[in-house]
Amino acid sequence: MRGKYAIAALGVTEQGIKLGRSDRELRGDAIGRALQQAGLERDAIDGYIHCWGEREDLRYLGLSPNFSWALSCGGATPAAGILAAVGMIEAGQAEMVACVYGIAPTSGYIPGNSDLKSIGAYSYGYPSLYGTMGAASSHALHARRHMHRFGTTSRQMGAVAVTQRGYAAKRPGTTGYGKPITLDDHQASPMIVDPFRRLDCCRDTDGGVAVLVCRADRARSLVDKPIYILGAGMGQNIVNWHKGVPYDHHDNIAPAKARAFAQAGIDLRDVDVAQLYDPFTISVIMQLEAYGFVAEGQGGPFVAEGGNGADGVIPTNTAGGQLSGFYATGFTGIIEAIRQLRGEAGEGQLGKADIALCSGHGLNAGVQNTWNHATLILGNQP
Amino acid sequence: MTIPDVDLAVIKRLSGDYLDLPFWEGTARHELRLHGCALCGRKYWPASQCVEHGDAQMEWAPANGGGIVHTYTIMYHAYAPQMAARVPFCVAVVQLDEGPFFHTNILDCPIEDIHVGLRVEVRFQLDDSTGLTLPMFVPADAVKSKT
Repeated sequence: MRGKYAIAALGVTEQGIKLGRSDRELRGDAIGRALQQAGLERDAIDGYIHCWGEREDLRYLGLSPNFSWALSCGGATPAAGILAAVGMIEAGQAEMVACVYGIAPTSGYIPGNSDLKSIGAYSYGYPSLYGTMGAASSHALHARRHMHRFGTTSRQMGAVAVTQRGYAAKRPGTTGYGKPITLDDHQASPMIVDPFRRLDCCRDTDGGVAVLVCRADRARSLVDKPIYILGAGMGQNIVNWHKGVPYDHHDNIAPAKARAFAQAGIDLRDVDVAQLYDPFTISVIMQLEAYGFVAEGQGGPFVAEGGNGADGVIPTNTAGGQLSGFYATGFTGIIEAIRQLRGEAGEGQLGKADIALCSGHGLNAGVQNTWNHATLILGNQP
Repeated sequence: MTIPDVDLAVIKRLSGDYLDLPFWEGTARHELRLHGCALCGRKYWPASQCVEHGDAQMEWAPANGGGIVHTYTIMYHAYAPQMAARVPFCVAVVQLDEGPFFHTNILDCPIEDIHVGLRVEVRFQLDDSTGLTLPMFVPADAVKSKT
């Protein structure tokens, strides 16, 4: 797997609140930017994976692929989509697969769900009978367990928000640009879904993203800085539901991590930067633990001491993540990983950024509250 | 007591199906039922196949109605207009004495008294909007003090 496939191009539109553009238009813009970066015409795309679920893109976008898939495993979809693209190329079904995302919830466009006003208000299943609504309520159940088991505090979760806002404050194009916060700001922000305050939560943004996936040699012939896919893996937390401990695990990360790191032939010390799926502050703490950057239960003190900062043990979510950057589902982290690996992160560029760990997380079920987890390891050398 | 009818269409809208009807017909009679594996006795909710014995027969049987708060959250933000009059309220996941988890509301308990490990007991409440009888939970102490 390592180095055999690459992301040849990344197209990212403006990401932000109330951009006033439809989701489809944003996807078209993102594809156009990716094609321009790769120096390709749109007929080069022979595989289309829509990281969501919508049926009319190909006509509107003027694409003519051999297949068009709607892939949906929530926030794990971008990494899963890249993995599916590799699979289709390996199976001889395509040579240049576009993995595309675009939503505009703050402008009234959530694909296939025109009644939904916010991603954060999504709710279904038996738990909705009891007033559960939104991803915050389901993640709060994990946070409460972590606080109960390890004494993790609101101020420690706040440290994640403050550090990530620090990254975003220096990064143009993020929602947090120019707006640093303090721990006091975090503590003063209103309680939304206990234990999450407003500054523990990400918010919806509009935007489009497209990546072009192909064989590494093809990518090298097209662009100066292909980003290599070194390894990938997935896990589903349903295993921990069956064991009776789903809430003590943010995700079932162990199998995803094991497979991805084995494919990449690396260990944790080789990772220069982590981009972890972070709809809520607790997500960063629990993933830093599950990946092994810090022992289980020690994630709170770790972030409070700046372990996730630019000079810390593992710089994490270096453009602000979803919390302070923008919410492009699992693409938020993949975009920043690619920028760091290409040396295009501007003032936020890390001194050494050759291998990046990205995670995705999504598609929970109502009763069991378990998600898919995706691990994707990217590098700037094959 | 008049036993309310259970509408399958409501169950389907909640991502359930007819396999769950015995549960909701049970709550309508103020009985909390769990789905159990006929082979090993492991209990499940909602309707499931046994993770150890997938092809074994499953049977609905009454639970004892007790459990402990495994985790919980307090909803302060009204994500939808209909929530505005209700917040703040507690959504908890109770681990029933037989093992399964159950999302619920904790009633008759000040928010500041709710904690992980709180012992609770079921109390049934008719939900007007769905016609379902919902298992709610109250602190076990509150039940004792009333009896």
